[in-house]
Amino acid sequence: MPTLDLILEVILLTVKVAVLTQIIFALPMPLTWLERKIAGHIQVRLGPWRVGPHGILQPFADAIKLLFKEDIVPDKADKILFKIAPLIAMVPAFAVFAAIPLGDTFKIPVIGAEVKLYLSDMNVGALYILAIGGLSVYGMILGGWASNSKYALLGGLRCSAQMISYEIAVSFAVIGVVMLSNSLNLLEIVKSQGGSFLSWNFLYLPVGPVWFAIFLIGSVAEINRIPFDLSEDEGTLSSGYHTEYSGMRFSFFMLAEYVAMVTVSILSVIFFFGGWNAPFAFLSFIPPIAWFMGKVCFFIYFFMWVRFTLPRYRYDQLMKIGWKILIPLSLVNILITGLMLI
Amino acid sequence: MEDGKKGLDIFGLIKSVLFTDFVKGLVITLGYNVSRSITLRYPDTEKWIPYRRWRGMHTLNKDANGRELCVACELCSRACPTQCITVIPMEDATGRGIADRVAKVWKVDLVRCLFCGFCEDACPTTAVRLGREYELACHDLSCTVKEREGLLKPQPVPESFEGGVVVGARFVRTPGGISVVADLSKSRKRAL
Amino acid sequence: MFEQFFFYIFATVAIVSAICVISVRNPVHSAVFLIVCLLQVAAIFVLLRSPFLAAAQVFIYVGAVMVLFLFAVMVLDMGKAHWKEHLHGQSAPAAVLAGILFILLGYMALKGRMTAPLGTYNEAALVKNTEVVGRALFTKYIFPFEVVSVILLLALVGAIALVMREKRP
Repeated sequence: MPTLDLILEVILLTVKVAVLTQIIFALPMPLTWLERKIAGHIQVRLGPWRVGPHGILQPFADAIKLLFKEDIVPDKADKILFKIAPLIAMVPAFAVFAAIPLGDTFKIPVIGAEVKLYLSDMNVGALYILAIGGLSVYGMILGGWASNSKYALLGGLRCSAQMISYEIAVSFAVIGVVMLSNSLNLLEIVKSQGGSFLSWNFLYLPVGPVWFAIFLIGSVAEINRIPFDLSEDEGTLSSGYHTEYSGMRFSFFMLAEYVAMVTVSILSVIFFFGGWNAPFAFLSFIPPIAWFMGKVCFFIYFFMWVRFTLPRYRYDQLMKIGWKILIPLSLVNILITGLMLI
Repeated sequence: MEDGKKGLDIFGLIKSVLFTDFVKGLVITLGYNVSRSITLRYPDTEKWIPYRRWRGMHTLNKDANGRELCVACELCSRACPTQCITVIPMEDATGRGIADRVAKVWKVDLVRCLFCGFCEDACPTTAVRLGREYELACHDLSCTVKEREGLLKPQPVPESFEGGVVVGARFVRTPGGISVVADLSKSRKRAL
Repeated sequence: MFEQFFFYIFATVAIVSAICVISVRNPVHSAVFLIVCLLQVAAIFVLLRSPFLAAAQVFIYVGAVMVLFLFAVMVLDMGKAHWKEHLHGQSAPAAVLAGILFILLGYMALKGRMTAPLGTYNEAALVKNTEVVGRALFTKYIFPFEVVSVILLLALVGAIALVMREKRP
């Protein structure tokens, strides 16, 4: 027998899911603009300029263009897989947000009601994010295979090999965080880093920075961004797994990529930089959500910054970094972390 | 890695552990990110005015009294390697030109012209000069042949203007076409 | 009531996709159906109040093992001729073995040998699901756990040995 409370809770949850999904859907638009703008300024250009003031309406123009483009399906492609592959890439990127907290609770100023800034307080949150986040790669592999094109297939294969290699290192880094914070629950992980910035996992010397480096490098490889975007290496593979895609289906891949970048930024903040905790106790009058957003924005900027700083690695270098450096390093680091925690 | 046999490179190891090269790169790109863009905002607000030596669209000069300097000697059309200049002389004693012989027709086909400047060198009276007008694109072929009447009008950038600077400009759309009107009073040096 | 409803959905999809795994022609499609099947099993784990197992299932089987499967299937590009070659002479013993396994499993399930004690964990323990699993693995089931890890280690060493032998001129 559903009570009124239960119904209210379900309605609230539905509203939260709807709002969050809308935000994530819209997020890549400002991000593409920002990325092109940052690219422009780093290369001493202007970036988008002509559509709207400072080119701010450029993403809308792009979206309209993508919507009206013909959705081409190659003749010899595996039609069904080709059509659902972009969705397979996109859905896990959104599903991850079910476990990602954006803050503890938020008091709406006028009504005084408290709203929880997370969808579910999952006690295996960290594991869930790793598991679901890893599923995006199927969209890329299947899309690459279903296109029936050499370049797309090579892109898909590179994607899968890269993902397997770096997933291990990233998981080890998350295990390190779980060991330091003593919980798989993301809320608990953030709570354990409360107080001042000295209790952030990043500053748990000497292992914290190492875990962070492993996590960051592995994540950049997993979300296929420069310097590890070998699966869409336009120099050798024209554009990798999405060579044959056009229009909306292509934009789904882009959407998944940008959402994954946001996810990784959020996870870096939650795992290593104290989530929504202020760095100093006397600065805690600034609302936690502002701290959180500020830190996440920094990481998003950081990823774009790195993109236009580093050249692309070679594929053998990529594998070497993954298997010969990151994985042994993380194994040693687990040992040191364990010894420090005794 | 290649010279690993020489013994362990301690400094190299420390440098790679601390990502110093990576951080150096980041600092450089951040510096560029906050630096001023060198993009010339042509055609919206800025325009590049070339140096005097620039060879753009032809112009026919007049002397101080407003008489045409051209004496229709046809040396320019003879010197032209692409035969794009057509000169038809005529007799005119009304004082239109500095001599009795003036050009009835003086036209240049800009599609064939290669802006070599031979006509300029051949001219005995410095009547023809390659000016600094470089926006020559248009919608149809009718504008590619420039007649004497149009060429006699002074170009927007006067010969006295030094050039080699970026000046303020305005983008103008008219039914006849588009143009960028330069404002020579505001000028700045090029950034790079 | 709700849970049963969801269970039937997941179970039906799992069985249908499992049948598809062995009936579709294209190996890549088989792999995709296997992914669907494993995801449904993970969902059933969630219904059984063990989110840790569900997440581990998705993480390891769907996230890692199946990526390798797909990788191998795509690279090998097996035609029908290859299938025949691989299966010759092995199908009869395989069928017998599968039959024996099936009968054995059915027997054990009917006799009630395969049930786990239900309801011994209270709500507080269920929240600390990961901890419960960890404790059980490292105390009660330490011996099977160690045996499994040794077997995995052997497999690892064996795989490396095979690759090394092929590389030698």
